[in-house]
Amino acid sequence: MSDTTTQPGVMSGSKAATALARKRDEFRYLRLATTVIVTLMVLTPILALVYGSFRTAAPGAPGEWTLRNYWALFSPGVVRTMGITLAVGLLTSALCIVIGTIITLIVHRTDFRYGKAVTMMVGLAFYFPSFILAMAWIIIGAPGGIWNVVLGTWLGLEWLRIDVYSLAGIVFVMVLHQVPFVYLTMRGPIMGMDGIYEEAARVAGAPPRRVLFKVTLPLLSFSLLSSFILTFIITIEQFAIPALLGIPAQVNMLATQLYLLVRFSPTDYGLAAAIGIALSVITGAAIWAQRRVTHSGRLTTVTGKTSRLNPIRLGRWHWLATLFCFGFIALGLVAPMLMLIYTSLIKWFNANPMQAAYTFQHYAAIFSSGSTMRSFSNTLIVSGVGAAFGVMLGLLTSYFTVRSTATRSRYLDFIATLPFGVPGIVLGLGLLWAYAYLPLPLYGTLTLIIVSFVTRYLPYATETIGGQMVQVDKSLEEAAWVSGATKAQGVRRILLPLVAPSIQGAYFLMFMAFFREISSAILLYTGATAVISISIWAFFEQANWGLASALSVIATLIIFVAMALITALYPAARRK
Amino acid sequence: MSIQVQNLCKAYGALTVVPDVSFDVHEGEFISLLGPSGCGKTTTLRCIAGLEESSGGVIRIGDKVVSDPARGISVPSHGRDIGMVFQSYAIWPHMTVAENVAFPLRTRNAPKARIAEQVDRALSAVELAHLRDRYPSELSGGQQQRVALARAIVGRPSILLFDEPLSNLDAKLRESTRTEIRRIQKQLNVPSLYVTHDQEEALSMSDRVIVMDKGQIQQIGTPQELYRAPVNRFVADFVGKASFVDVVREGSGAWRTPDGTVLPGTLHSPEGTAHQLMLRPESLLLDPQHVASDNISVPGRVLSAQYLGAVTEYLVQALGGEVRVHSPIDLGTDQVVGLSFRSGDCRIVAR
Ligand SMILES: Nc1ncnc2c1ncn2[C@@H]1O[C@H](COP(=O)(O)OP(=O)(O)O)[C@@H](O)[C@H]1O
Ligand SMILES: [Mg+2]
Repeated sequence: MSDTTTQPGVMSGSKAATALARKRDEFRYLRLATTVIVTLMVLTPILALVYGSFRTAAPGAPGEWTLRNYWALFSPGVVRTMGITLAVGLLTSALCIVIGTIITLIVHRTDFRYGKAVTMMVGLAFYFPSFILAMAWIIIGAPGGIWNVVLGTWLGLEWLRIDVYSLAGIVFVMVLHQVPFVYLTMRGPIMGMDGIYEEAARVAGAPPRRVLFKVTLPLLSFSLLSSFILTFIITIEQFAIPALLGIPAQVNMLATQLYLLVRFSPTDYGLAAAIGIALSVITGAAIWAQRRVTHSGRLTTVTGKTSRLNPIRLGRWHWLATLFCFGFIALGLVAPMLMLIYTSLIKWFNANPMQAAYTFQHYAAIFSSGSTMRSFSNTLIVSGVGAAFGVMLGLLTSYFTVRSTATRSRYLDFIATLPFGVPGIVLGLGLLWAYAYLPLPLYGTLTLIIVSFVTRYLPYATETIGGQMVQVDKSLEEAAWVSGATKAQGVRRILLPLVAPSIQGAYFLMFMAFFREISSAILLYTGATAVISISIWAFFEQANWGLASALSVIATLIIFVAMALITALYPAARRK
Repeated sequence: MSIQVQNLCKAYGALTVVPDVSFDVHEGEFISLLGPSGCGKTTTLRCIAGLEESSGGVIRIGDKVVSDPARGISVPSHGRDIGMVFQSYAIWPHMTVAENVAFPLRTRNAPKARIAEQVDRALSAVELAHLRDRYPSELSGGQQQRVALARAIVGRPSILLFDEPLSNLDAKLRESTRTEIRRIQKQLNVPSLYVTHDQEEALSMSDRVIVMDKGQIQQIGTPQELYRAPVNRFVADFVGKASFVDVVREGSGAWRTPDGTVLPGTLHSPEGTAHQLMLRPESLLLDPQHVASDNISVPGRVLSAQYLGAVTEYLVQALGGEVRVHSPIDLGTDQVVGLSFRSGDCRIVAR
C-alpha cells in the first residue's frame, strides 16, 4: 500500500478527529470565556494607550491625529529623562546585584551564624512598600531631616550633610528597596548549585577564593545576568521612589514625567502616552533579553539532586559579614521603621527626641476619620476579592496554556504575559484613556482599581500556578479519566489538590502586591476609591508627616502580620 | 468481552504515526504489543483508552463501538470501562494507597460497603493490604507499581491496558511481577493488551504477540510461532537472537549460501526476491574435532568469544558469513571448528 493513496484519507480523517475532539471538550466555553476576558483586560489599556499616543487632546476631548507626541520624545527634556532613567536603572541594578549576591553567598554558602535572622529580615524588607521606605528616608535625609540636623547643625560636621532629593538619593533608596529582590532570585540558584563542580576544583588544588571566582561565580553568571535584567526592569518601572525623591529636585525618570504630564498643568496626555509606550518598549525589550538568557539552557547549575555543599569558613572575617548583612538591614528596614514610628508619635516634627511632644493623636485621627477608614475597607476589598479574582483567572489561564499544545493556547499564554512589560503607571494611563471612551460605568469604581491590579499582576499568578502545573504529569489526570472521572472531576479531584500550594502562594503574592500597589492606582483613584497606599501618599503630599507615618506604621504591621501568618501556614500546606 | 481494532489510523497533523492497524483481543486473552521504541505502540493503546482521538478506523470494546471518527463516534475515556496501568504508574501523590484504589469506584458512585470490600480484595490480590494507609511517596517502586495494578483491576473493568508497566523496575522484580500480572489477569479473565519493547517479557507472558514496526503490524502469533517461524527478518531479529546469512535459490529449489553450502529445498520459502538463512545461536552445535554427524555440518573459524556464564557466545565465520553460536565448550579465537545444525531449526526469511 503506497503512501500517496492513503494520505488524503488520513488528512480528512484527522480533521474529523480534531472536530470531534473540539466538540467533546467539556471546557470549551470556559476556555473561550477565559480567552476573551484576558484579552479584553490586557489589550484594552494597551490599545487605548497606543490610540492616545497619536492624539492631540486629552482622553474624551475632541482632538486630531498626530505624530507630534512621538517627535516630542526627542526633545531635550525627554531625552534627558530617558538618560536619567537608564542611568538610574543600570547603576541601581549593578549595586543591587553586588550587594544582594554577597548577602546570598554569606547566608547560604558560608558558616555565617545569623543566616536565619538575615533571611527573615530580608524577607520583611522585600515586602516593605517602596513609598513608605522613600518617605522614611526623606524624614531622615532631607535637607532639614534628622541626619542633617544631628550631624550638621548640632555636631558641626558640615561635610557629612546629605540630600536625599537627588539622583544619588534615588539610587540609594532604590538599592535598599531592590536588594531583597536580588536575594530572593539568587537564593535558588546558589542553594541549588551542584557541589560537584566546586569539589572538582578543590580536588584540583584550587584555594577557596579561586574556587569562588573561577568556578562558583562563572557558573552563576547566567542567573546573575537574568537577575540583573529583572532588577533593571523593576527599577525603571518604579514610580513612588523617583516621584517622592526626584520631583522636588527636578530629577525625573520616565515614570515620574508621565505622572507630571497627567497630573499637573500644563497637562499633555498624548505625550504621556508616548512616554508610556517608550517605557514599555524598553521594559519589553529587557524582558525579551531576560527570557533569552534563561532559555539559553546554561542555567544548568541547578540539578536538584545536590551533593552537600561544604560551607566556606568565614573565620576571622565573620564580624565583617555580620556588619555587612545587618548594616543593610539597618538601612533598609530597621532605621526607616523606627523613624516612622517616631514621627507617628510626635505632635510636630522635631529632630531631637528629647524635646519632642509625644502624642497618639495621629492614630486617633486615623481611626476617627471616615475617609481613612474607608481606604482601609477599600484596600481589604481590593486585596482580598481582587486577589481571589486574579488567582481564579490565573488558574484558568495556566490550565488552558499548560494542558494544551494548540496554537490558541500559545496566544493566551502570550497575552497573559504582556502585562510584565507594562509598568504600573503606564497601565493606569492606558485605563484612563480606555474608560474615557468605553461605555462602561467603571471610572471611579473599585472595580476599575481591581481590574488594573489584576491585569498588572496576572503574570504573577500564571507563573506561580503554571510553574507547578507543568510539574504535575499529565498521566495523573489521564489515570483519573480511565478510572471513570470526567475532565472536570479530574481537575477537581486530582489537579487542584496537587497544585493547591501554588494557588495559595499566588493568592498570597497577589494579596501582598495589591496591598502595597500604588503606581497603577495613582492615576485612577477618586476620593471614594482611595486605598491605603493612596491615603498615605495624599497625607505626605499635604506635608502631614505625622498622619502619613502613623498610617504607614499600621499598613506595615498589617503586611508583616499577614506575611508571618501565611509563612507559618504555607509550608504546612505542602504536606508531602 | 473483547477488543476489536479495525483499520486504526492516527496522525498528528501531517505526521502519520499509525497508518493502518487491525487486530482482535479475544475473551480472556492476553496480548502483547511488541516493537522498538517509537513504533506507535503507546499511540495505539492510548487510542483504545480514549486518551487520543483516533484519526480513522473503528475500535470496539465488547459489542460497543467506542471510536469511529467517520461516523462521529468517540466515547470519552471515562465511558469506556477500562483499567489501565501507566508506564509512570500515575499514582496520585495526595491520596493514600486505599484512596487511590478506591477512586474508580468512588467516581462511579458505588455504595460504601462495596467500595470497602472491593478495595480490600484488590489490595490483597496485589499483597498490599498492610500498606493501605501509606502515601505513595512512602512506597518503593515495586509497591507503587502494584498500587497501579490494584487501581486498574478494582472496578472489574471490561478490558485491561498496560503501557510498559515494568520498565521502571529492576530486573529481579520485573520477573516476579510478570507472573503476578498474568495470575491476576487469568483470575479476572479480562482481555488484556500489554505494550512492551522487551521481547522476553512479551514471549513469557502472552497468549499471542503482535510485533509492530514503524506503525505497521509485522506479525501476529503465539510466542512459539514468532520465535520459530518469523515471517521476516525484522521479526526474526527483534524476537530473540539470530544470525543471518545471505542465500540464493537454486534452480532445483535448494538454497545456496555464499560459500557454496547447499541447504535442502524443503525449507519454507517466503515471498520476495532477496532471502536470508536465519539461525538461532542455541540451535547450533560446535564441535572442535570437526566430527561429521547426521545434521547439516560445515567448517568454521572462531572470530571472538564472549563468556556469558551458562554458555559462551562465539562469533564464528561459517557459511560465507558470520554466525553467533552458544556453546558450553571452551574454545580459543582462530580455532577451527565444525558447526552443525538440523535443517528443521533453520528458516529462510525475506530480507
Ligand atoms: N503528541 C504527539 N505529537 C506528535 N508526534 C507524536 C505525539 N505523540 C507521539 N508522537 C510520535 O509518534 C511516534 C510513536 O510514538 P509512541 O506511540 O509513543 O511510540 P512507542 O511505540 O515507543 O510507544 C513517535 O515517533 C512519536 O514521536
Ligand atoms: Mg511507549
